[in-house]
Amino acid sequence: MGSGTKTVRFYALSTCPVCKKVKLYLDGHAVSYAYVEVDRLEGGEQWLASQEVRKHNPAGSYPTVVIEEVITGHDEEGLKRALGLA
Amino acid sequence: MTPERLYEVLTRYAASVGNELNQDKPYVLDLLRGLLTNEERYGYRSCPCRLGSGIKERDKDIVCPCVYKDLDVKEYGSCYCSLYVSREWNEGSLPHRMVPERRPTGAHD
Repeated sequence: MGSGTKTVRFYALSTCPVCKKVKLYLDGHAVSYAYVEVDRLEGGEQWLASQEVRKHNPAGSYPTVVIEEVITGHDEEGLKRALGLA
Repeated sequence: MTPERLYEVLTRYAASVGNELNQDKPYVLDLLRGLLTNEERYGYRSCPCRLGSGIKERDKDIVCPCVYKDLDVKEYGSCYCSLYVSREWNEGSLPHRMVPERRPTGAHD
C-alpha cells in the first residue's frame, strides 16, 4: 500500500435508510470500501464489529464511515494534506 | 403488517401526539420496513437506526417511538431517525440537521 492510499470501512445497519443514502453517495463517487452490515452479523462477530465502531465513534451510531490514510517515509506534503496542516 | 398499513396507523398516532410523519414517504416506508424487520428479528419494534441487542429489557429505551423522541422533536424538530417530526420541520421552517445520538454511551453493552 503506497503513501496517500486511503482505506474506507463503512459500518451500516441493513434497516437504516440513512445508511443507504450514504452508500449511494459513496457508490456514486466510485469509492471502494469494506462494507459491514453490523445487524446482520451473528453473536460474537456482531459484538466485535460494534466495538470497532465504538473505538472510532463512542456514540456507536450508524452509519459510521472510517477513512484511514497511510503516509510512508518523510512525506511532508502528504502529512500536510492528510492532517489539514497549513 | 405491511409497511403501507403501518404507515396509516402511525400517521394517526403521530397526529394524536402532536407530531407528523416525515413527509418524504418513500424514506418513511423504508424506515417502516426496517422497523418490521426488527419486529420479526427481535419480537419488538426496535429503532431501525440503532443496533438492537435482541434483549427487550436492554432495548426498552429504543423501542419505537423511543424515549428520546419527544426531546429530539422539541429540540431539533425531528426524532433521531427523522420518522416523527414537527409541522415546522416538514414545512421547512426548521433546518434539517443531523440529530445527535441522545442514548447514553454503552446503554446496550
